[in-house]
Amino acid sequence: MLSYFANPQRFDRLARIAIPVFAVLTLILLGAGIYMSFFASPPDYQQGDTVRIMYVHVPAAYMASALYAALAGASFVYFVWRHAIADAAAAVIAPIGAVFTALALATGSIWGKPMWGTWWEWDARMTSVLVLFLVYLGYMALRSALEDAQQAARASAILAMAGVINLVIVKFSVEWWSSLHQPASVFRADGPTIHSSQLWPLGLMALGYTMLAGWLVFYRLRTRAIARRADALLRQKEAGGRR
Amino acid sequence: MRVLTAIFAREARLAWAGGGGAAGPAAFFLAAITLAPLAIGPAADLLAAVAPGILAFAALLSVLQSAERLFGDDFSDGTLDLYLLTPTSLAALCLAKVMGQASATLWPLPLIGVLGGLMYGLPPLSALVLGAALLAAIPALALIAGFAGALAAGIKRGGLLIALIATPMMVPVLIFAAGAGRTAFAGDERAVANLLLTLAISLGTVALAPFGIAAAVRGRSG
Repeated sequence: MLSYFANPQRFDRLARIAIPVFAVLTLILLGAGIYMSFFASPPDYQQGDTVRIMYVHVPAAYMASALYAALAGASFVYFVWRHAIADAAAAVIAPIGAVFTALALATGSIWGKPMWGTWWEWDARMTSVLVLFLVYLGYMALRSALEDAQQAARASAILAMAGVINLVIVKFSVEWWSSLHQPASVFRADGPTIHSSQLWPLGLMALGYTMLAGWLVFYRLRTRAIARRADALLRQKEAGGRR
Repeated sequence: MRVLTAIFAREARLAWAGGGGAAGPAAFFLAAITLAPLAIGPAADLLAAVAPGILAFAALLSVLQSAERLFGDDFSDGTLDLYLLTPTSLAALCLAKVMGQASATLWPLPLIGVLGGLMYGLPPLSALVLGAALLAAIPALALIAGFAGALAAGIKRGGLLIALIATPMMVPVLIFAAGAGRTAFAGDERAVANLLLTLAISLGTVALAPFGIAAAVRGRSG
């Protein structure tokens, strides 16, 4: 399966189908999610209307970590099997993940002001998301600093994989600070503690965000491949002209 | 083994050769801990309270000072390619290299840390705990800096890039090393736990990082 799509032409055919599918799913899910979050769901009995920030914040935070997992997974596939498309995927996922992380930080801060009375609190989860953002920045900086494409691919794959170990340790070490953040309330063994009228819009938004990320990743992968091909053609033409 | 001791000794000698390189981190550390009170103000109780954090943070920054040099020079003059050809394990070799440089340049940091702690008004016992925590943290800090240095070897003005890559990885060591000093100052018995956790992270880094550095060196060659 992996090696099947390592062929650029096959991948291009896949991307041509995937891009519109993701686009349509994004529009439907995000549209429904936004309608439910902002109009069709009741205000929270404690938080009032500010609870609606949750519907844009929680999915962003989830995408921030999910995309890092995807980045590390793609890096691993590239590192072990040397699939060029896995490397390209890692390259395009990083900035998208960084943007979702920034979005999670910004919306979290906006939500924190009315809820906790402060824009920023050095609690465990916020701090580890900030560290995650730095990890994304370091990854992108290393990738863009290395000119040789193969060295850039290998070095950044190693960094992305080391980042996984690091992020786990960071998560546990920042827990040492007492936390203002509420404990996990959706994924729990005894079932979600959040009411279904809030769970529905949240779930729709999370799915919508996921589809949006998938859309962006495939779109950028295809653009990147086309740009590469254009570069190669230009170079060929230049070389031919000189002869 | 002889190869490893030779490389260890080579790094230590190299750090001392060529004018002041070995004293760099120590001098930077001293400069940083001199500046901090000027920024914070001379209030004694405030300085003592922030001392463990400032000192651990300044030590972290000073370790980053020598990271660019460690692999950068060997990358550009081809020494790294020769290392790749030796039959000795590359991971062991990288460990010897990083530790060789660290042993030559970073040993003053815990001493200056104790001195700085006293100057900031920490009780002697807390200052000693902080010094011990810095000592325990140095292998982890040096190896993480080495890992970032290997990834960014040969990049022009790679120092900033190394700092950006290494700082997120240094978060846990910083938390526990500074935490040891802080809890010791507060008279909290968890100081020992913090100290041991710093040591644990260092040992874990000694076990894992050499393979990461070796992979980085391989990834950057050819």
